[in-house]
Amino acid sequence: MGERSPSRIPLIAGAFALVVYALAFASPYGLRVLTVAGVYALATLGFKIVFGLGGALSWAQGAFFGVGAYVTGILGSRYGLGFETTFPLSMLVPLLLALPVGLAVLRLESHYFALATLGIAQVLHLLAVNLPELTGGSNGLAGVPAAVLFGWPVPRGLPMAGLVWGLVAVGGLIGWRLAQGRIGRSLTMLRDDPLAAATLGLDVGRLRLTAFCISALFGGAAGALAVHTQRVVSPEVLEFPVMVSILTIAIVGGRGRMAGAVLGAVLLLHLPEWFRFLERGYLVVYGVALLATVVLAPDGLTGLLDRIARRLSGGRPPILAAATEPPPLPNPPDGMTVEGVRKSFGGVLAVDGVSLALRPGTITGLIGPNGSGKSTVINLLSGLERSDAGRVRLGGQEVTGARADRLARAGLARSFQAAALPAGAGVLEAVAAARLAIDPDAATAQAHARWALDRLGVGALAGQGCDGLPAALRRRVELARSLVRRPAVLLLDEPAAGLTDGEKAELATLLRALAGEGMAILLVEHDMEFLLPLAGTVLCLDRGRVIYDGPASGVRLDPAVAAAYLGRAVSA
Amino acid sequence: MRRALPLLIGLLAATSCLSPAARADDTLSFPVLVPLTGFLSLEGTSQRNGAVLALKQTPAGVAIASEVVDTGTSPEAAVTALERAAGSGTVGAVAASMLGTQMLAMLPLAQELKLPLVTVSGTASITEQDNPWVFRFFPGDAVTKAAHARYVVEELGKRQPAIIYQTTAYGQSGKAHLDAAFKALGVTPVFEEGVDPAAKDLLPVLTKALAAKPDVLVLHLHSGPTALLLRQAASSGVTLPIVAGSAMHQPSTAALLEPSELKGVCAETAASPVSGDTPEVKAFTDAYRTAFGKEPDAFALGQYDGMTMVLEAVKAGARTPDAIRRALSAETFKGLAMTYKSDGKGNMAHSAVIVCYDGTSRVPALVKRYDDPALAAK
Repeated sequence: MGERSPSRIPLIAGAFALVVYALAFASPYGLRVLTVAGVYALATLGFKIVFGLGGALSWAQGAFFGVGAYVTGILGSRYGLGFETTFPLSMLVPLLLALPVGLAVLRLESHYFALATLGIAQVLHLLAVNLPELTGGSNGLAGVPAAVLFGWPVPRGLPMAGLVWGLVAVGGLIGWRLAQGRIGRSLTMLRDDPLAAATLGLDVGRLRLTAFCISALFGGAAGALAVHTQRVVSPEVLEFPVMVSILTIAIVGGRGRMAGAVLGAVLLLHLPEWFRFLERGYLVVYGVALLATVVLAPDGLTGLLDRIARRLSGGRPPILAAATEPPPLPNPPDGMTVEGVRKSFGGVLAVDGVSLALRPGTITGLIGPNGSGKSTVINLLSGLERSDAGRVRLGGQEVTGARADRLARAGLARSFQAAALPAGAGVLEAVAAARLAIDPDAATAQAHARWALDRLGVGALAGQGCDGLPAALRRRVELARSLVRRPAVLLLDEPAAGLTDGEKAELATLLRALAGEGMAILLVEHDMEFLLPLAGTVLCLDRGRVIYDGPASGVRLDPAVAAAYLGRAVSA
Repeated sequence: MRRALPLLIGLLAATSCLSPAARADDTLSFPVLVPLTGFLSLEGTSQRNGAVLALKQTPAGVAIASEVVDTGTSPEAAVTALERAAGSGTVGAVAASMLGTQMLAMLPLAQELKLPLVTVSGTASITEQDNPWVFRFFPGDAVTKAAHARYVVEELGKRQPAIIYQTTAYGQSGKAHLDAAFKALGVTPVFEEGVDPAAKDLLPVLTKALAAKPDVLVLHLHSGPTALLLRQAASSGVTLPIVAGSAMHQPSTAALLEPSELKGVCAETAASPVSGDTPEVKAFTDAYRTAFGKEPDAFALGQYDGMTMVLEAVKAGARTPDAIRRALSAETFKGLAMTYKSDGKGNMAHSAVIVCYDGTSRVPALVKRYDDPALAAK
């Protein structure tokens, strides 16, 4: 979910209050705590891009923070380089580290990815301890100079706080723009449903790598500022507590919101300071306060502010973009052809030599008993599974073994058996996500999404959330996601399931219209009353094999289909 | 916005009210900024208790205030604590963390704020920064490790030591000084290996060390690892003499072992208050036990001596941080553990002792005293 506006006013007020506090009320101690909060806010802004938006729990953010800190520490204390040199390098080195690491670990599943990134921080910590000539070993490097900006040593207190928070403002603006734009929305789609994201044309690997690299830039910048604040760099900057602080700030602030990084950092850095007089007891109070925050604001502080702001504003409907019809993709003359596709899972042959041709302007039915391989065929055609044998061509191009995102960009769209709409997302956002890989910006994608919703007769849902939609409406919204891409080939997995007779009739009319526009449609369905009048050709699968491939009118007469699926043959 | 803005400003104003406000009176403040949580909490608590006990000796006519703040183990927390302390009235001197990385982080700020830091940190580099505001009331590694090595070579007559040290700042600094001290004595260790403080089994490193055929085991480990290695050595039937680092002298370390497991084990340290070698040290130990219900160690005694010297300066008329700094730099002070005198860099302690356990109790006996052993070794 991208940034939304309800809590904008309190956030602006909060920023103003922070400036007033820093300028008029804060003691040198208060300014230091504020400065450190700014450092952590910057690190968390980066973490929010990879974790909050992208959903990848990267424990490497602490490592990037530490690398940035060491780059500034080493170059500043040993070579006397100024901030204008050390700061960019402190961002560049973590970026150069993130690239190979990201390529190696970003395709791992969530928990393996988290563990792998945790390992990076551990390795770097070991290096920091065991390379004393370079890093100063466990003692670290003392005597790191203050930030010297074009010959001006930035004094501690207000100037340093100003420098740090100025960079937080720049970082926050960049993060906010990213979250609002195509990258942020694509990452959110990826976080909510990676499989669906791929079938909508989003390059999962590239997106994650981009987010990982951006997070490294932020982490390195924060580490550099941390060293100028502390004036010493030691292996503590690579230790687990740094990463835990960043994660806690992100969660408490609000996972997907950039403003949450600032709110979380300001609160979490000040909270222990308020209770320092309790000696060791402050940790108990801090823990209880943290727990209370998480319980009372499970969506983070920004989520809480959103709720309050919505209540105060009386739930005014959002202003939506006007509907615009997306340009149709050129229909490839020969649609999609599949020859002898085979797929096994261990010892089970799920699909065995299936061939079919999806011609423009036709509707092809795919039927068969449960477990016969219908969904696997759709997964193979849409690139979610890789076939063991066979050939697939799309629009005359060889696409055998192509990834889902490439097939999607080549003109393929699909739906899922259970309508895959992201939890917590708005209907318009969910549909617009399908255009993110095509349209130049998020606003254009939303305008196109409105067109698709209108075409499916659910334009009124545009301002609503996906959660709580009835099954039939969810299916329509999901169909709108496929339709909005103007695909050449559309694969639909049981689109009529759970629909009333009237809704099925409307769906049939729509599918006929789409086919009439030149779209090739593959329809997996159990409802013969719905399918057979629609489809020109029908294939029936049984245990992965095609047992019928012919006109729809012949299906009920085929004894093999009757024996395997329909139960009884019907005489003509 | 009309509702939110006053609320936020109020909250932030409350924050500033909670910050230590400047005191208007003549009270001299002596903040105690030490690690009370984290891996150094045991030693940090000793340091705290020593400082707190010393600060009870208020000189007549002087109002004294003190706040204890936990610095955890991060440099950032220590610097923040120092900045906080600096804002709380007239600070005379600060009882500062024994953690070397925290001291290194606090030093530039202390110099900027002109505040004396009184510490028991053993990290050598804290007095190598040309910073006139640091005073170490615990012998540095150059002193203790020279005593360590000299006892091994000169008293035990061993020339094939195996050194096991910690991969922390404490461990790396100690190992470097042990190497130098043994080299000065013409001895080359037959084995050297660092172990992570989180290691749960030290038998592998012990086995490797024994395979190198040493005639003595020299340890430079934190408290927990020291106890673990000694227990594993005892259960493995190791009969070699073991001379440990200062962590061994701590009563909290000895409490982790049976007296029999300590038989023949010696350790270097600045002092061993529980051994009570003078009536004054015995009185200190009793007062400490009464106040905190615990046994004091050398860190508690060193910090006690340091803060007592600070209070002596106040008693003598020093009322500003700079006056206290000048007194600490110039005066000689006969403390409970030893006589303290700055070497010009802030190193106040120049003596170390060796204590040994006889296998019947957890209280060691003082067997050897080295006054300025580093110079003597040269």
